[in-house]
Amino acid sequence: MLEVRQLCKSFGGLKVTREVSFALETGERRVILGPNGAGKTTLFNLLVGELAPTSGEILIDGHSVGGLSVSQRARLGLSRSYQRNNLFEDLTIRENLLLAVSAGQAKTAWMVRDSFRDKEVRETVSDVAEQVALTEVMDSPVRTVSYGNRRQLEVGLALATKPSILLMDEPTSGVGPGMIDGFRRLLQSLPRDLTVVIIEHDLDLAFDVADRITVLNFGEVVFEGTPEETRGNKVVRDIYLGDWQSDA
Amino acid sequence: MFRQTTTRTLSIAAALAGLALYAVLGGFYSREIVVEIVILAILAISLDFAAGFGGMISLCHGAIFGLAAYTFAVMTAMWDQPGALAALAAIVVASLFGLAVGAVTSKTTGIFFIMATLAFGQMAYTLVFKSRWLGGDDGMAGLPRFDLAWLGIDMGSSLTFALFAILLIAASYIAAAWVLRSAFGRTLAGIHANESRMKALGVNTVIHRARAMGFSSLLAGVAGIVAAQHTQYISPELLFWTVSGEVLIVVILGGIGTLIGPMVGAVAFVLLKHQASNYTDYWHMVIGLILIAVVVAGGRGLYGQAEHWLGRGARKAEGLRRA
Repeated sequence: MLEVRQLCKSFGGLKVTREVSFALETGERRVILGPNGAGKTTLFNLLVGELAPTSGEILIDGHSVGGLSVSQRARLGLSRSYQRNNLFEDLTIRENLLLAVSAGQAKTAWMVRDSFRDKEVRETVSDVAEQVALTEVMDSPVRTVSYGNRRQLEVGLALATKPSILLMDEPTSGVGPGMIDGFRRLLQSLPRDLTVVIIEHDLDLAFDVADRITVLNFGEVVFEGTPEETRGNKVVRDIYLGDWQSDA
Repeated sequence: MFRQTTTRTLSIAAALAGLALYAVLGGFYSREIVVEIVILAILAISLDFAAGFGGMISLCHGAIFGLAAYTFAVMTAMWDQPGALAALAAIVVASLFGLAVGAVTSKTTGIFFIMATLAFGQMAYTLVFKSRWLGGDDGMAGLPRFDLAWLGIDMGSSLTFALFAILLIAASYIAAAWVLRSAFGRTLAGIHANESRMKALGVNTVIHRARAMGFSSLLAGVAGIVAAQHTQYISPELLFWTVSGEVLIVVILGGIGTLIGPMVGAVAFVLLKHQASNYTDYWHMVIGLILIAVVVAGGRGLYGQAEHWLGRGARKAEGLRRA
């Protein structure tokens, strides 16, 4: 489904991604863990094409996507949400979703017909709004809604294109326990054939939703395994879970 | 995102009626002014489409406008083709030029886009200026107006021509408003608001920006056709970059990103020019002072500011009613 081979990225002398390799099955839920600065967001930027790798290969369904632009990769079914909200601030929540769904259904070029009035687009918008629990605030401009609602919209925009691979960069960063539960339910409700990669700091959530966990440190994959294996692994405990374990 | 509110529909109807009334009741001179307003207004609507909704601040709209006028002139005066065919050719040439500029510059933004369009515009200007067969710096004279005698309409009459021009401004506005509310217009607004997110959603922003320049240029072409028929004479000055600069001033003066604002800006600009020049040779200074006031007040423009005040009043009334 999604495979990464020997991926490297350097900014000048600084190596932020070192020989990263992994392969995801269709429908797999993969969580990426790692301390701040481990290169997790950089990895996402490389996957979607916002950054070009120094070397290495990225394959979707066995085909290299190295030469494809961000929008071409998105049209192959790769979608992402951002760690820092990247929304259409002056538009309403509904308009945000309408834009994303129109793009996902490739209804962007008509010069006479309006995609915002298209039945199929509007139906998908209601579905997505329900999925991310935004139906109550649909007509509010984004800049007037709560931070939590923005986080939900961030995920909603990524879901709106009906991707086959969904990359979520810390979807629950900065939100309370109530919303983390809501997010857990959202993840469980997603179609089983959707491949999901999540960068997550909430370890309970990570262990709960992941099929497999990849741990990055200083740009390198230092561990990969099931949640059970991750809990018991000494390397992982030392670099990442050490504090968490002693806190517990 | 463009919204055709009731206020806007009423404003545009009032503006068009006002222009028509001025043309009907006034003499030859006022009809000349009306056509001058119309040409500037269509050009400003065209630029607002690109700049206000697509974020593409072009300094080659004068050149596109001039190219359309020249195409019309060559087709009619030189090659004796009918006016309708000449107009169609003018629009096609303008659109293709705009599309080409858009395609080449679509990856540049901000100051680099402005400079690139300036270069394209000045190239077109130089080309026309140096072309002996186009009359060089003398331009071309004796251009015909549309021949509507078969409909019993005499386009030679200043009133008829003024009313015809007003019709074209209405058509241009409706076309622009329609496209802005199409799937393409929505996408363009999305790209203007957050280009990186639109790319991440799978939108080819390069193609959409190029098309936006193409459509905007089509409207600039309409203005060029009116200009060629108005004085029935054209010169390379039409293509010069200061024409584009003046249009940009009109757009900002009236309210960028409102579509109707540029029309209001054109009315204000032309009337001010004629009024102020009765008293002083420095009429540019008067416009400059107003422009500074508009920009300092928040850059909403004359119409945008009025709309803002109206909206604030409405929100206050709503608050009082609820309280």
